[in-house]
Amino acid sequence: MTMEERYETEYVFKYWLNFNNVLTDFIINIIICLLIALAVTIIGPIKDFLTNFVLVQSIGITGSLTVFFSLLIFRPRSWTLFLFIAGVAICCSVFIGLQISIFILQYFLNTHLDLWTHNLGLQAVIAGIIFSFIDLYFFITKITTRYHNTMIEQEKIRRTAMEKEYLAANLKMLQAQIEPHFLFNTLSNILSLIDTSPHKGKSMLLDLTNYLRTSLSRTLPEKTTLSQEISMIKAYLDIQKIRMDDRLNYTIDVPDSLGQKSFPPMLLQPLVENALKHGLEPKVEGGEIIIRAIEENNVLKIDVADTGLGFSDLDKPGLGIANVRERLHLLFGEKGRFIIEENDPCGVRAIIEVPINDI
Amino acid sequence: MIYKAIIADDEKELRTYLKRMLAETWPQLEICGEAINGKEAMKLIDDFAPHIAFLDIKMPGLSGLDVAKKIAGVCHIVFVTAFDQYAVEAFEREAVDYLVKPVTKERLLQTIHRLKKHLQSSPEPSEGLTQMITHVLAGLQDNPRTDRYLRWIKTQHKDCVRLISVEEIDYFQSGDKYTLVMTAEGEALIKKSIKELSRELDPQKFWQIHRGTIVNVSRIEIVARSFTGRGVLKLKNRPDTLTVSRQYLHLFRQM
Repeated sequence: MTMEERYETEYVFKYWLNFNNVLTDFIINIIICLLIALAVTIIGPIKDFLTNFVLVQSIGITGSLTVFFSLLIFRPRSWTLFLFIAGVAICCSVFIGLQISIFILQYFLNTHLDLWTHNLGLQAVIAGIIFSFIDLYFFITKITTRYHNTMIEQEKIRRTAMEKEYLAANLKMLQAQIEPHFLFNTLSNILSLIDTSPHKGKSMLLDLTNYLRTSLSRTLPEKTTLSQEISMIKAYLDIQKIRMDDRLNYTIDVPDSLGQKSFPPMLLQPLVENALKHGLEPKVEGGEIIIRAIEENNVLKIDVADTGLGFSDLDKPGLGIANVRERLHLLFGEKGRFIIEENDPCGVRAIIEVPINDI
Repeated sequence: MIYKAIIADDEKELRTYLKRMLAETWPQLEICGEAINGKEAMKLIDDFAPHIAFLDIKMPGLSGLDVAKKIAGVCHIVFVTAFDQYAVEAFEREAVDYLVKPVTKERLLQTIHRLKKHLQSSPEPSEGLTQMITHVLAGLQDNPRTDRYLRWIKTQHKDCVRLISVEEIDYFQSGDKYTLVMTAEGEALIKKSIKELSRELDPQKFWQIHRGTIVNVSRIEIVARSFTGRGVLKLKNRPDTLTVSRQYLHLFRQM
């Protein structure tokens, strides 16, 4: 017995607890019986419609009532049990129904039908059972289909709600990008440098200002050049360089000709931040970051490689990475590509490809 | 009596700063060593048996909390942190000494005052401290390795190993020997079987819908029901449809 069956049979049960549903199905059943009576008159041995009508309706009504009540009483939780109960109910009700119809025919319509002494009785019983099962199958399919449709509707509603949540979370992420750890550590460094080497402190403060100005802006500028982005990343790396000292080395290799090309803001920065946060900061001996830009067949290719810890299979990718992918897709569609590779000999290499454009 | 202390912080400038501040506020204190990570701090504590250890919380390798857990009872601990609201609340509650960066003179004087009082008695390995640290450590895991679900799929691509984050993947389909990884960018082959993947992936985000198919739940557009009692799945931004076998149909309702 699967969970699926449990839910389906449970639904059938609940469906028939509703009076309106029972009434509708009862009427539908009478119509179906009318059709069966017509069919039996045409192909069956008894050529009188009224007799057939009484026969079929009595079996139909007795059958539907017995099946209905036995299911309500036994409340089966699997289709096998359901069919067993319904089957027993149908078999009994066919005999009872036939007996009732003989009674009705004799006392109300003055037709004497001697079913039990002829072959006719056996035929009527077999036909009654077959038609009852077809009838039952029709109702079960009707109700389970209805059940599946409601479930799909519910699932759709749930999904829309989830998507809304996701968008809200995304927005929140964009609004809280600066790590308090980074900020307070940097401030402590500056405070210390003011006493020991004011020059260094001053330049660190300027770097922080540069970094914060870009990171805190709620609206990103439409277009920036690659060199503008790089200067912001350089400010960030210079701050980190003071903090991490010889645990961090970095190289930025961007030819002047490419620096003037347009490049979306805040696309590269999350990658550099990721390389530091997940790659180099937690690594005891530190390492190196290399940022390189090249042009290839009218495509601007920028890669950020670090020699940090790298990703284990189980590391959560930062939200930044998902965001980069999403924005790249929104901005360039198929033409924007974002690839992450293992770096040689260790760490991670992130590559962004965008179509080249003069500003 | 001359007290000895060590300072552990991965940032050089901040070690010198704290050392200078201590020299000003507590000239009798001897700084017998500086460590740039947790492991070094452990070694210094072993070598010099200091009375006090100033431990930065966030250090590569062993964090300050990890160190404290190991040396609880050996010496008095003062945690130093830039920003850990959660930890600071716990320190307050448990009356553990801590400093926040940037360290101010007033705050440092207060801490020294308390330390001097505590130093009369030898540090006792308190159950409460160890427990608190375990708690804080669990709470601080903004990092990654807490839940054990597969996040990255590594695929061989020419001469390098490409990392595909599972979020990118639309679905997995079993092939002859390999499993096919389908993303918007294309497809790749991996050796992991559907069976292994279904064990390792986050069941909230990936559903097995067929003996040979695992789908990324967020990519499902609609689920329709076919006459044969199976489900048919249409994915977002993809032409392909997937079959949901009857035994997995329950996934699409009981949520």
